[in-house]
Amino acid sequence: MIGHPFTYRSPESAAEAVELVSAAPARTRVLGGGTWVVPECNRGESAPDLLVDLRRAGLDRIELVDDVVHVGATTTYTALMSSAIVLGHLPMLAAMARGITGGAQVQSQGTIGGSVVAARPQSDAPAVVAALGATLVMAGSQGERRVSGEAMFEAASRSCVRPDEILTRLEIPVQGAARWGYYKLKRSASSWPIATAAFVVDQHGSGSVTDARLVLGGVSGTPVHVDVRSVLVGGPLEPGRVDEAARLVAASVHSPWEDELAPGSYRLAVTHPVARRAMEMAMQQEDS
Amino acid sequence: MTGTEPVEGTTIRLNLTVDGQDRSAAVDSRSLLVEALRDGFGVTAPKVGCATGDCGACTSRVDGLITKTCMRLAVSAEGSQVVTTQGLAEDGELSFVQEAFWSEQAFQCGYCLPGMIFAATELLARDPDPTDDDIRWALSGNLCRCTGYEAIVAAVRTAAARQREHLQRD
Repeated sequence: MIGHPFTYRSPESAAEAVELVSAAPARTRVLGGGTWVVPECNRGESAPDLLVDLRRAGLDRIELVDDVVHVGATTTYTALMSSAIVLGHLPMLAAMARGITGGAQVQSQGTIGGSVVAARPQSDAPAVVAALGATLVMAGSQGERRVSGEAMFEAASRSCVRPDEILTRLEIPVQGAARWGYYKLKRSASSWPIATAAFVVDQHGSGSVTDARLVLGGVSGTPVHVDVRSVLVGGPLEPGRVDEAARLVAASVHSPWEDELAPGSYRLAVTHPVARRAMEMAMQQEDS
Repeated sequence: MTGTEPVEGTTIRLNLTVDGQDRSAAVDSRSLLVEALRDGFGVTAPKVGCATGDCGACTSRVDGLITKTCMRLAVSAEGSQVVTTQGLAEDGELSFVQEAFWSEQAFQCGYCLPGMIFAATELLARDPDPTDDDIRWALSGNLCRCTGYEAIVAAVRTAAARQREHLQRD
């Protein structure tokens, strides 16, 4: 039983949701799937006066618009795993959804937008959407706002989504022929990730790398963007260059995340193999 | 727009279809769905374990999707179709999964059964011949306090085999 009194609303449009959250943002929490906020309220760690539940707000559509996939904020992991658009155009996002901790229940309850807004360092979603070059689209009383890149995540458990806004969708460019790898280290199937690496690489027909993005999750308060282009661009994706690129990562982590799963020193130590394995996955991938 | 007014301790009337029956009960507006099912509707198959979404003991099927009902507000489920493990038996016949958990002695205290049985049922609905790795991954969102995992995996394997035999006979 949640110990404090609250009002519950489930608006039927984004506009209605914005009206509700902008009335008293400091005393309002938004529910995507509820997998984080409901237990938090139940434990008494958060005591909002108003809970705005987006489940009926029509924000769960997945659409392909000119080589950009629009993923509604309340799209569940189960929906991502079974969407032909996501399977065909964003295979790394589908793979991330299949590997979410918590079983089929959490996959069908948790939402991609909820995970992005919660911005928990140990979650899968922040680093993956960053590596995929996503843009977050927010709605507020002043209209729409878009943020991409490192500005999406400001601190541990704080995304760029302001309390008087709601995240409406993610816009993610199609992966096209890009190879990718997603590797995560965790203690057991049912535990949170300790460190993750999401890697996307574009190559010429000849095999020469033209662009590459590597983002680490779990190792810092926010996703760590590692500039591996200086090592990888202009040559083939092969073991020597991959290992050289993986050696760059530890220096990119300035203040390693610490929690009950692992101390910062452990996280620093595993960044190199975790990053290398993600890049090796891409290296071994069949041409798509 | 649906919602409730904030009055501490106020009861609301919640309408659900529970295990095939249209029902209505008075519940506290701050209840988690598992609490409403147990305390308001008297359906005690889903258990309150961790209340943080880790253990799966509160699992029920809500509008077709297996759900950890400790992470759902009761008020958000108004009008929903809920199936608990109590409602899985048809005409008094246990399902393949339930029967196999019984014959393989796959439980001691039984607290984890809602999560284990629903997770196994979901797996066998989409994959009639899972590997042991598939079974273990499918069960991974559910914790057994008696550490009977080997027997649970064996039960799912047995349920899969019996279901395949049954399908071949038809």
